[in-house]
Order: sequence, then structure tokens, then C-alpha cells
Amino acid sequence: MHWEDIFNNFGFLMRGLAVTFQLAAVSVAGSLIIGTVLGIIRYLRIFPLSLVAAGYIESVRSIPLILFIVFIHFGFLPFILGSESSFFVSSGIALVVFTSAYVAEIVRGGLNSIEKGHLDAAISLGLTRFQRLAYVILPLALGRMMPALVSQFIALIKDTSLASTIGLIELTRSGEIIYERTYHELEVLLFIAFIYFVICFSLSKLGKKLETKPYMVSETKERLYA
Amino acid sequence: MYSIDFNIIAEALPELARGIKLTIFISAVSSLAAFAIGLVTVFARTMATGPYGTAGAIYVEIIRNTPLLLQLYFVYKALPDLGVQFPPVVCGIVALSIYTGAYISEVLRAGINSVTNEQYQAARGLGLSNLQAFALVVFPQAIRVVIPPLSSQFINLVKNSSLVSFIAVSDVFYVVYKGAADDFRFFEFFITGALVYMLLTGFIAVVSNIIEKNVRVPGGEARI
Repeated sequence: MHWEDIFNNFGFLMRGLAVTFQLAAVSVAGSLIIGTVLGIIRYLRIFPLSLVAAGYIESVRSIPLILFIVFIHFGFLPFILGSESSFFVSSGIALVVFTSAYVAEIVRGGLNSIEKGHLDAAISLGLTRFQRLAYVILPLALGRMMPALVSQFIALIKDTSLASTIGLIELTRSGEIIYERTYHELEVLLFIAFIYFVICFSLSKLGKKLETKPYMVSETKERLYA
Repeated sequence: MYSIDFNIIAEALPELARGIKLTIFISAVSSLAAFAIGLVTVFARTMATGPYGTAGAIYVEIIRNTPLLLQLYFVYKALPDLGVQFPPVVCGIVALSIYTGAYISEVLRAGINSVTNEQYQAARGLGLSNLQAFALVVFPQAIRVVIPPLSSQFINLVKNSSLVSFIAVSDVFYVVYKGAADDFRFFEFFITGALVYMLLTGFIAVVSNIIEKNVRVPGGEARI
């Protein structure tokens, strides 16, 4: 085994990890904002906009992410800007476009899951439409959306690895650069996979804690029948 | 000025057709294998005794928490270091099946947990073995509940199959990417690729809707 490859290039790998984190953070923020807006538009059925949102969500969800990354970087952005954009910006935009469609569905599902009684109570208290959404329905829905949102963002962190295919030197690409030189693919890939695992696994454990108790799907029982 | 010209797609049609065929082939084989893997894993996690449950849990957690791209690279680039070498298409199928199998096992587990424990106890009380109770009583009830999430896993599989183009498999994404880069016709090829994937995933969605309607337990809707 050649673990010295990892030690010798540890700083390089960590710089890649930092880029992965930055990309993930930017994409989480962007997709949360756009996804929430789209989800609310669909929930409120704001007439022409909700059709546009539905079309956007359904089509994005049936196209692979890699298609967005490659074509936003090599096709759309050069066409709009007239010059090639940075790898980071392209992959960030692609990840936001892709993930916001999923977030929108989670938000819509969460909003729809709120019992009608809450809405009736809010109406009878004289809250306006905006107040009902902002102070009653959305906070209630947030608790129920949490598990799905966390697992969507775990998927997003894993998806940042696709940015390596257009050349962004994030964690996966920095590993590739190392093993393309040393030919010790096994060690480098195992180490990178381990880093992704630690991040995603701890996030999923954290997500379990964030679930609000009364609304969560009961902890699936292991060996229910054993 | 850039002008859209779809003649370029007509010229690339034979190659596109080959790519589509390969994507369908890889997706179909991986779907079957992933379902089988998911089935074995979920049996180990919910029914089997001994270390099998732990092994299943470790498999699912490792696979679900690492990127598919890395798993593809691992099968294609790292396994040869250990003396295991497959052709690229097989590597793609192996990685996709193992990846999707973990997700499918989680979907199936949710379904199995939705079947009440009394069903299992009654089956065992009637003298069925553990495997018989699973295969004849619990599983047939569980599978009906999880057809929608199951079909979205197969849809994900089709979309994820586009990543095999990075281990030198000329699937439909590879053809689209290569065509776009060679002729510098990104819009035409992007729209074509997007349409192909939308058709493939739409087909799965329609089939799953039909299956869901046909296997629904009569009167079961009210309870769920």
C-alpha cells in the first residue's frame, strides 16, 4: 500500500475539500432560496407562475445533473457572457438549478402536509394571506421538511463531485490529479471516499436530531420481525 | 450569431441511437441487479439473525454516503490494482447496481416496516418459515406500498447511468457531449440529450403508475 501519497499531498487534498465545502455551501443557499420560492408558488397556485414552476420542476427532475453542469459551462454561460466562466460559477449554477427543483417539491409537500385546521384558525384570527404563510404554515412545515431537506443536501454534497468532470479542482479532482501522477488509484480513492463518508454520515446523523418529534416518521425499527 | 440548426442532430442520429440503446441496456440490467441486491439486503436487515443485519447496514451506509462517481472510478480504476478487471460496460453496471441496490433496500425497508408485525407473527404461527413468511406474506404487502418511491429509484438509476460516460462507455450522454464538443453545437445536443432522458424517465413513470393502479389492495386506500 502507498499511503504516503496521501500524507505527501495532504494539504492539496484539503484545499480540494475546502472548494467542495464552498461549492456545497453556495449551492445549498441558492437552491434553498429558489426552491422555497418555487415551492410556495406551486402551493399557492399563483396562476401563470405555478404552471411555469411545475414545468421547470418536472423537466429538471428528469434530466441528469451532469447534463446541466456540462452544458451550462460549455454552452449557456459562454453564449450569454461571451467568454468562458469559471468552473466554480458554472458548477454552482448547475447545482442550484438542479437541486432547487427537488427542494421545491419538498417545500410543496411540507406545506401541503399541514392540516387544514391550522389554516382555518389563522383565517379566523384575521391573518392576511402572507401572514398565514409566514407565521403559521411555513414554520409548521419546516419541521416536517427537515429530514427530506437534509437528505437532499447530503445528495448535493455527493453531487459536487461531478464538478470534477469539467475541471474544478475540488476533492474528487484533486484526488484524480494525485493518482494520475502516482498510479495509486486504490489508496487515493479510498481516502477520498472516506472523507465524503465522514461528512455525509455525520450530516445524516445530525439530520436525525433536527427532526421535530411529533411529526417525524417513527424511527424505523431494525429487525422488526427477527 | 449563433443559429440553431437541428440538421446536425439528424447527422448524428445513428450514433445517438447506439448511445440510447446502450443507456437502455445498462439501465435495464442494473435495475434488475439492483432490485435483487436490495431484496437480499432488506431480508438480511429485517429478517435474518446474526451478523447479516449489521453487514447489510454497513453496506447501505457506506454506499449511500459516498458519491456514485467515486464508486464508478473505484470499480474501473482501483479494482485493477487488486487484480480484478472488467470491461467498462460491466464496471458501469456493477457500480450502478451496487449504488442503486442500497437505495432500493431502504425503500423496501420502509415498505416492510409499514406491514404490521401481526402479519408476520400470524404467518409464523401458521408454520411458515422465516423466508416463507417474508416471501409469501410480508413482502407482497410491502411492495405495493412502495411502488412510487421504487420507481423514482429506477428513474434515478437511468439518470445516474449518464456517469458511465466518464469510464469510457459511449452511452447517450457521451454521444451528446462528444457531438456538442466536436461541432460546437451545445444547444442542439443539450436539447436532444434532455429529451432522450425525459422520454426514458417518463416511460418509467407511466409504467409505474399503471402497475400501481393494478396491484393496489382494494379498499386499502382508506387505511393509508
